[in-house]
Amino acid sequence: MDPELEQLFVKQLKENQNIIHKICRLYTSGEDAHKDLFQEITIQLWKAFPKFRGDSKFSTWAYRVALNTAITLYRKSTRSVQTSSFDTTNHFIKQEEYNYEEEEQIKLMYDAVYQLNDIEKALVFMYLEDKDYQEISETLGISEVNARVKMNRIKTKLKKILNP
Amino acid sequence: MEELDLLKKDWNKRNSFEQVTEHEIYKMRHKTSSSIVKWLLAISIIEFSFWILLTLILNDEKYQVKLHRYGIEDCMFWVNAINYAVLVLFIFFFYKNYRTISTTDSTRQLMGNILKTRKTVQYYIWYNLGIVTVNIILSILMLFYHNAQMQSLMEDATAKGHKEIFILMCSGISLVFIALIIGIFWLFYRLLYGILLKKLFVNYKELKKIDL
Repeated sequence: MDPELEQLFVKQLKENQNIIHKICRLYTSGEDAHKDLFQEITIQLWKAFPKFRGDSKFSTWAYRVALNTAITLYRKSTRSVQTSSFDTTNHFIKQEEYNYEEEEQIKLMYDAVYQLNDIEKALVFMYLEDKDYQEISETLGISEVNARVKMNRIKTKLKKILNP
Repeated sequence: MEELDLLKKDWNKRNSFEQVTEHEIYKMRHKTSSSIVKWLLAISIIEFSFWILLTLILNDEKYQVKLHRYGIEDCMFWVNAINYAVLVLFIFFFYKNYRTISTTDSTRQLMGNILKTRKTVQYYIWYNLGIVTVNIILSILMLFYHNAQMQSLMEDATAKGHKEIFILMCSGISLVFIALIIGIFWLFYRLLYGILLKKLFVNYKELKKIDL
Protein backbone atom coordinates (compact mmCIF):
# COMPACT_ATOMS: atom_id res chain seq x y z
CA MET A 1 0.00 0.00 0.00
CA ASP A 2 1.29 3.40 -0.99
CA PRO A 3 2.20 5.13 2.28
CA GLU A 4 1.80 8.56 0.71
CA LEU A 5 -1.73 7.73 -0.38
CA GLU A 6 -2.44 6.39 3.07
CA GLN A 7 -1.19 9.52 4.73
CA LEU A 8 -3.20 11.73 2.39
CA PHE A 9 -6.31 9.71 3.09
CA VAL A 10 -5.94 9.84 6.85
CA LYS A 11 -5.27 13.57 6.76
CA GLN A 12 -8.25 14.33 4.51
CA LEU A 13 -10.60 12.15 6.49
CA LYS A 14 -9.50 13.69 9.77
CA GLU A 15 -10.16 17.17 8.41
CA ASN A 16 -13.54 16.22 6.97
CA GLN A 17 -14.76 13.86 9.65
CA ASN A 18 -17.64 16.03 10.76
CA ILE A 19 -19.66 15.26 7.65
CA ILE A 20 -19.29 11.54 8.41
CA HIS A 21 -20.25 12.13 12.03
CA LYS A 22 -23.37 13.94 10.90
CA ILE A 23 -24.43 10.96 8.82
CA CYS A 24 -23.69 8.57 11.69
CA ARG A 25 -25.73 10.74 14.01
CA LEU A 26 -28.65 10.70 11.60
CA TYR A 27 -28.60 6.97 11.00
CA THR A 28 -27.73 5.55 14.38
CA SER A 29 -28.69 6.03 17.95
CA GLY A 30 -26.19 5.48 20.70
CA GLU A 31 -22.47 5.94 20.87
CA ASP A 32 -21.51 2.36 19.99
CA ALA A 33 -23.62 2.25 16.86
CA HIS A 34 -22.25 5.65 15.86
CA LYS A 35 -18.67 4.40 16.18
CA ASP A 36 -19.50 1.16 14.37
CA LEU A 37 -20.98 2.94 11.38
CA PHE A 38 -18.12 5.45 11.37
CA GLN A 39 -15.69 2.55 11.16
CA GLU A 40 -17.56 0.85 8.32
CA ILE A 41 -17.67 4.15 6.41
CA THR A 42 -13.92 4.59 6.95
CA ILE A 43 -13.29 1.10 5.54
CA GLN A 44 -15.47 1.80 2.50
CA LEU A 45 -13.86 5.21 1.95
CA TRP A 46 -10.40 3.72 2.10
CA LYS A 47 -11.41 1.00 -0.36
CA ALA A 48 -12.72 3.59 -2.80
CA PHE A 49 -9.94 6.12 -2.22
CA PRO A 50 -7.56 4.95 -4.99
CA LYS A 51 -10.29 5.87 -7.46
CA PHE A 52 -10.77 9.32 -5.96
CA ARG A 53 -9.40 11.61 -8.63
CA GLY A 54 -9.63 14.85 -6.78
CA ASP A 55 -11.82 16.46 -9.42
CA SER A 56 -14.41 16.97 -6.71
CA LYS A 57 -13.87 18.02 -3.15
CA PHE A 58 -12.97 15.25 -0.72
CA SER A 59 -16.00 16.09 1.40
CA THR A 60 -18.35 15.86 -1.60
CA TRP A 61 -16.94 12.52 -2.58
CA ALA A 62 -16.87 11.24 0.99
CA TYR A 63 -20.45 12.07 1.93
CA ARG A 64 -21.67 10.11 -1.09
CA VAL A 65 -19.76 6.99 -0.10
CA ALA A 66 -20.83 7.51 3.51
CA LEU A 67 -24.52 7.81 2.61
CA ASN A 68 -24.31 4.72 0.42
CA THR A 69 -22.68 2.82 3.24
CA ALA A 70 -25.33 3.88 5.74
CA ILE A 71 -28.28 3.18 3.46
CA THR A 72 -27.08 0.19 1.48
CA LEU A 73 -24.03 -1.60 2.83
CA TYR A 74 -24.43 -1.29 6.56
CA ARG A 75 -26.02 -4.51 7.71
CA LYS A 76 -27.46 -3.50 11.00
CA SER A 77 -30.75 -1.73 10.78
CA THR A 78 -29.97 1.94 10.79
CA ARG A 79 -33.48 3.02 11.45
CA SER A 80 -33.93 4.18 14.95
CA VAL A 81 -36.95 2.70 16.63
CA GLN A 82 -37.29 4.89 19.60
CA THR A 83 -38.18 8.52 19.36
CA SER A 84 -36.57 11.21 21.43
CA SER A 85 -33.30 9.43 20.88
CA PHE A 86 -31.53 12.54 19.78
CA ASP A 87 -29.74 14.10 22.63
CA THR A 88 -29.47 17.73 21.74
CA THR A 89 -27.50 18.75 24.75
CA ASN A 90 -24.76 16.36 23.77
CA HIS A 91 -23.97 18.09 20.53
CA PHE A 92 -24.85 21.57 21.33
CA ILE A 93 -22.32 24.32 21.56
CA LYS A 94 -23.37 26.56 24.38
CA GLN A 95 -24.03 30.08 23.36
CA GLU A 96 -24.15 33.16 25.47
CA GLU A 97 -27.87 33.46 25.06
CA TYR A 98 -30.27 31.30 23.25
CA ASN A 99 -33.90 31.03 22.70
CA TYR A 100 -35.35 28.25 24.86
CA GLU A 101 -38.48 28.02 22.79
CA GLU A 102 -36.52 27.75 19.58
CA GLU A 103 -34.22 25.23 21.21
CA GLU A 104 -37.17 23.08 22.17
CA GLN A 105 -38.55 23.28 18.67
CA ILE A 106 -35.22 22.26 17.17
CA LYS A 107 -35.10 19.25 19.46
CA LEU A 108 -38.56 18.23 18.30
CA MET A 109 -37.44 18.67 14.70
CA TYR A 110 -34.49 16.33 15.21
CA ASP A 111 -36.84 13.78 16.76
CA ALA A 112 -39.16 14.09 13.77
CA VAL A 113 -36.29 13.60 11.31
CA TYR A 114 -35.37 10.48 13.24
CA GLN A 115 -38.73 9.00 12.44
CA LEU A 116 -38.18 9.25 8.69
CA ASN A 117 -37.01 6.28 6.68
CA ASP A 118 -33.45 5.85 5.41
CA ILE A 119 -34.05 7.40 2.01
CA GLU A 120 -35.95 10.37 3.42
CA LYS A 121 -33.16 10.96 5.90
CA ALA A 122 -30.69 11.06 3.02
CA LEU A 123 -32.74 13.73 1.28
CA VAL A 124 -33.02 15.76 4.47
CA PHE A 125 -29.30 15.40 5.05
CA MET A 126 -28.46 16.76 1.61
CA TYR A 127 -31.01 19.53 2.00
CA LEU A 128 -29.45 20.56 5.30
CA GLU A 129 -26.01 20.40 3.68
CA ASP A 130 -27.24 22.86 1.03
CA LYS A 131 -26.88 20.45 -1.87
CA ASP A 132 -28.83 21.41 -4.97
CA TYR A 133 -31.46 19.13 -6.48
CA GLN A 134 -29.19 18.13 -9.32
CA GLU A 135 -26.68 16.74 -6.86
CA ILE A 136 -29.39 15.12 -4.75
CA SER A 137 -30.82 13.40 -7.82
CA GLU A 138 -27.39 12.21 -8.95
CA THR A 139 -26.47 10.92 -5.52
CA LEU A 140 -29.62 8.89 -5.04
CA GLY A 141 -30.16 7.97 -8.68
CA ILE A 142 -33.61 9.49 -9.03
CA SER A 143 -34.81 12.24 -11.35
CA GLU A 144 -34.41 15.86 -10.32
CA VAL A 145 -38.14 16.56 -10.56
CA ASN A 146 -38.96 13.59 -8.37
CA ALA A 147 -36.30 14.58 -5.85
CA ARG A 148 -38.03 17.96 -5.57
CA VAL A 149 -41.46 16.36 -5.24
CA LYS A 150 -40.19 13.94 -2.61
CA MET A 151 -38.53 16.75 -0.65
CA ASN A 152 -41.81 18.64 -0.53
CA ARG A 153 -43.58 15.51 0.68
CA ILE A 154 -40.99 15.08 3.39
CA LYS A 155 -41.56 18.65 4.54
CA THR A 156 -45.27 17.94 4.75
CA LYS A 157 -44.60 14.69 6.57
CA LEU A 158 -42.38 16.46 9.09
CA LYS A 159 -45.06 19.07 9.64
CA LYS A 160 -47.55 16.32 10.35
CA ILE A 161 -45.22 14.62 12.81
CA LEU A 162 -44.68 17.93 14.58
CA ASN A 163 -48.33 18.96 14.61
CA PRO A 164 -50.34 15.77 14.82
CA MET B 1 -40.33 30.04 8.88
CA GLU B 2 -40.19 26.54 7.47
CA GLU B 3 -39.39 23.96 10.12
CA LEU B 4 -36.55 22.52 8.08
CA ASP B 5 -34.96 25.91 7.64
CA LEU B 6 -34.94 26.34 11.36
CA LEU B 7 -33.14 23.05 11.57
CA LYS B 8 -30.74 24.13 8.84
CA LYS B 9 -29.78 27.15 10.87
CA ASP B 10 -28.90 24.88 13.73
CA TRP B 11 -27.39 22.07 11.67
CA ASN B 12 -23.97 23.55 11.15
CA LYS B 13 -23.65 24.79 14.70
CA ARG B 14 -23.87 21.30 16.12
CA ASN B 15 -20.45 20.07 15.28
CA SER B 16 -18.99 19.25 18.62
CA PHE B 17 -18.40 15.62 17.77
CA GLU B 18 -15.77 13.69 19.58
CA GLN B 19 -12.95 13.93 17.05
CA VAL B 20 -11.32 10.80 15.73
CA THR B 21 -7.52 10.99 15.71
CA GLU B 22 -5.24 10.10 12.80
CA HIS B 23 -4.02 7.08 14.71
CA GLU B 24 -7.58 5.84 15.14
CA ILE B 25 -8.27 6.27 11.42
CA TYR B 26 -5.13 4.25 10.61
CA LYS B 27 -6.40 1.49 12.87
CA MET B 28 -9.96 1.56 11.54
CA ARG B 29 -8.81 1.21 7.97
CA HIS B 30 -7.36 -2.22 8.67
CA LYS B 31 -10.49 -3.55 10.35
CA THR B 32 -12.59 -6.02 8.40
CA SER B 33 -15.68 -4.71 6.77
CA SER B 34 -18.96 -6.24 7.88
CA SER B 35 -20.89 -4.84 4.93
CA ILE B 36 -23.52 -6.89 3.15
CA VAL B 37 -21.31 -7.03 0.07
CA LYS B 38 -18.68 -8.82 2.11
CA TRP B 39 -21.30 -11.23 3.43
CA LEU B 40 -22.69 -11.78 -0.04
CA LEU B 41 -19.23 -12.65 -1.33
CA ALA B 42 -18.60 -15.08 1.53
CA ILE B 43 -21.96 -16.80 1.15
CA SER B 44 -21.56 -17.05 -2.62
CA ILE B 45 -18.14 -18.67 -2.29
CA ILE B 46 -19.63 -21.18 0.17
CA GLU B 47 -22.47 -21.90 -2.25
CA PHE B 48 -20.18 -22.46 -5.20
CA SER B 49 -17.90 -24.67 -3.08
CA PHE B 50 -20.87 -26.64 -1.78
CA TRP B 51 -22.02 -27.67 -5.24
CA ILE B 52 -18.50 -28.41 -6.45
CA LEU B 53 -17.84 -30.58 -3.39
CA LEU B 54 -21.15 -32.34 -3.77
CA THR B 55 -20.35 -33.23 -7.38
CA LEU B 56 -16.89 -34.45 -6.42
CA ILE B 57 -18.13 -36.54 -3.49
CA LEU B 58 -20.94 -38.16 -5.47
CA ASN B 59 -18.68 -38.81 -8.42
CA ASP B 60 -16.70 -41.60 -6.76
CA GLU B 61 -15.57 -44.88 -8.28
CA LYS B 62 -18.69 -46.77 -7.25
CA TYR B 63 -20.76 -44.25 -9.10
CA GLN B 64 -18.60 -44.61 -12.19
CA VAL B 65 -18.98 -48.41 -12.10
CA LYS B 66 -22.74 -48.00 -11.81
CA LEU B 67 -22.81 -45.62 -14.75
CA HIS B 68 -20.79 -48.08 -16.77
CA ARG B 69 -23.20 -50.87 -15.93
CA TYR B 70 -26.14 -48.73 -16.95
CA GLY B 71 -24.37 -47.87 -20.18
CA ILE B 72 -24.66 -44.09 -19.71
CA GLU B 73 -21.02 -43.39 -18.94
CA ASP B 74 -20.42 -41.37 -22.11
CA CYS B 75 -23.61 -39.45 -21.71
CA MET B 76 -22.77 -38.56 -18.10
CA PHE B 77 -19.29 -37.46 -19.11
CA TRP B 78 -20.81 -34.80 -21.34
CA VAL B 79 -23.35 -33.81 -18.74
CA ASN B 80 -20.50 -33.26 -16.29
CA ALA B 81 -18.44 -31.34 -18.84
CA ILE B 82 -21.38 -29.01 -19.51
CA ASN B 83 -21.96 -28.68 -15.79
CA TYR B 84 -18.43 -27.48 -15.16
CA ALA B 85 -18.58 -25.10 -18.11
CA VAL B 86 -21.79 -23.62 -16.70
CA LEU B 87 -20.17 -23.31 -13.27
CA VAL B 88 -17.22 -21.40 -14.76
CA LEU B 89 -19.64 -19.14 -16.61
CA PHE B 90 -21.59 -18.43 -13.44
CA ILE B 91 -18.42 -17.66 -11.49
CA PHE B 92 -17.31 -15.35 -14.28
CA PHE B 93 -20.61 -13.46 -14.26
CA PHE B 94 -20.59 -13.35 -10.49
CA TYR B 95 -17.10 -11.91 -10.44
CA LYS B 96 -17.97 -9.40 -13.15
CA ASN B 97 -21.04 -8.20 -11.25
CA TYR B 98 -19.15 -8.15 -7.97
CA ARG B 99 -16.48 -5.93 -9.50
CA THR B 100 -19.05 -3.39 -10.66
CA ILE B 101 -20.26 -2.78 -7.11
CA SER B 102 -18.96 0.66 -6.27
CA THR B 103 -19.81 2.90 -3.35
CA THR B 104 -19.24 5.97 -5.52
CA ASP B 105 -22.19 5.07 -7.77
CA SER B 106 -25.60 6.52 -7.12
CA THR B 107 -27.48 4.77 -4.32
CA ARG B 108 -29.98 3.26 -6.70
CA GLN B 109 -27.33 1.92 -9.05
CA LEU B 110 -25.34 0.52 -6.14
CA MET B 111 -28.39 -1.30 -4.82
CA GLY B 112 -29.21 -2.58 -8.30
CA ASN B 113 -25.70 -3.95 -8.74
CA ILE B 114 -25.76 -5.68 -5.37
CA LEU B 115 -29.07 -7.33 -6.18
CA LYS B 116 -27.74 -8.37 -9.59
CA THR B 117 -24.74 -10.02 -7.99
CA ARG B 118 -26.96 -11.93 -5.63
CA LYS B 119 -29.25 -12.97 -8.46
CA THR B 120 -26.33 -14.56 -10.33
CA VAL B 121 -25.73 -16.91 -7.42
CA GLN B 122 -29.43 -17.49 -7.03
CA TYR B 123 -29.73 -18.53 -10.67
CA TYR B 124 -26.86 -20.90 -10.13
CA ILE B 125 -28.68 -22.47 -7.20
CA TRP B 126 -31.85 -22.88 -9.24
CA TYR B 127 -29.85 -24.34 -12.09
CA ASN B 128 -28.39 -26.86 -9.67
CA LEU B 129 -31.77 -27.70 -8.22
CA GLY B 130 -32.92 -28.32 -11.81
CA ILE B 131 -30.00 -30.67 -12.31
CA VAL B 132 -30.81 -32.39 -9.00
CA THR B 133 -34.40 -32.87 -10.16
CA VAL B 134 -33.31 -34.34 -13.50
CA ASN B 135 -30.87 -36.59 -11.64
CA ILE B 136 -33.56 -37.88 -9.30
CA ILE B 137 -35.88 -38.61 -12.23
CA LEU B 138 -33.10 -40.37 -14.12
CA SER B 139 -32.15 -42.39 -11.03
CA ILE B 140 -35.72 -43.54 -10.60
CA LEU B 141 -35.93 -44.54 -14.25
CA MET B 142 -32.65 -46.40 -13.88
CA LEU B 143 -34.04 -48.14 -10.81
CA PHE B 144 -37.03 -49.28 -12.83
CA TYR B 145 -34.94 -50.64 -15.64
CA HIS B 146 -31.87 -51.98 -13.91
CA ASN B 147 -32.61 -52.73 -10.27
CA ALA B 148 -33.50 -56.38 -9.73
CA GLN B 149 -35.49 -55.71 -6.58
CA MET B 150 -37.48 -53.00 -8.27
CA GLN B 151 -38.14 -55.22 -11.24
CA SER B 152 -39.48 -58.02 -9.09
CA LEU B 153 -41.76 -55.53 -7.30
CA MET B 154 -42.94 -54.30 -10.66
CA GLU B 155 -43.58 -57.85 -11.86
CA ASP B 156 -45.55 -58.52 -8.69
CA ALA B 157 -47.67 -55.48 -9.30
CA THR B 158 -48.19 -56.38 -12.94
CA ALA B 159 -49.26 -59.90 -11.96
CA LYS B 160 -51.82 -58.47 -9.58
CA GLY B 161 -52.98 -56.05 -12.25
CA HIS B 162 -51.79 -52.96 -10.28
CA LYS B 163 -49.11 -51.87 -12.72
CA GLU B 164 -50.52 -48.37 -13.29
CA ILE B 165 -51.13 -47.81 -9.61
CA PHE B 166 -47.59 -48.94 -8.81
CA ILE B 167 -46.05 -46.56 -11.39
CA LEU B 168 -48.28 -43.75 -10.19
CA MET B 169 -47.28 -44.38 -6.59
CA CYS B 170 -43.59 -44.39 -7.43
CA SER B 171 -43.96 -41.16 -9.41
CA GLY B 172 -45.91 -39.62 -6.56
CA ILE B 173 -43.26 -40.49 -4.00
CA SER B 174 -40.52 -39.11 -6.27
CA LEU B 175 -42.44 -35.89 -6.80
CA VAL B 176 -42.91 -35.37 -3.08
CA PHE B 177 -39.22 -36.07 -2.57
CA ILE B 178 -38.22 -33.51 -5.23
CA ALA B 179 -40.66 -30.94 -3.86
CA LEU B 180 -39.24 -31.47 -0.38
CA ILE B 181 -35.66 -30.86 -1.48
CA ILE B 182 -36.56 -27.76 -3.45
CA GLY B 183 -38.77 -26.57 -0.60
CA ILE B 184 -35.97 -26.87 1.93
CA PHE B 185 -33.59 -24.95 -0.32
CA TRP B 186 -36.16 -22.28 -1.03
CA LEU B 187 -36.89 -21.80 2.66
CA PHE B 188 -33.18 -21.69 3.48
CA TYR B 189 -32.56 -18.98 0.90
CA ARG B 190 -35.59 -16.98 1.88
CA LEU B 191 -34.29 -16.93 5.43
CA LEU B 192 -30.65 -16.30 4.56
CA TYR B 193 -31.18 -13.50 2.08
CA GLY B 194 -34.26 -12.27 3.86
CA ILE B 195 -32.21 -11.53 6.94
CA LEU B 196 -29.20 -10.24 5.04
CA LEU B 197 -30.93 -8.03 2.51
CA LYS B 198 -34.11 -6.96 4.27
CA LYS B 199 -32.96 -3.41 4.78
CA LEU B 200 -31.62 -3.13 1.26
CA PHE B 201 -34.89 -4.35 -0.24
CA VAL B 202 -36.92 -1.88 1.81
CA ASN B 203 -34.70 1.03 0.77
CA TYR B 204 -34.56 -0.07 -2.86
CA LYS B 205 -38.34 -0.21 -3.02
CA GLU B 206 -38.55 3.20 -1.40
CA LEU B 207 -36.19 4.68 -4.00
CA LYS B 208 -38.07 3.10 -6.87
CA LYS B 209 -41.32 4.42 -5.48
CA ILE B 210 -40.00 7.99 -5.69
CA ASP B 211 -39.35 7.61 -9.41
CA LEU B 212 -42.69 6.00 -10.25
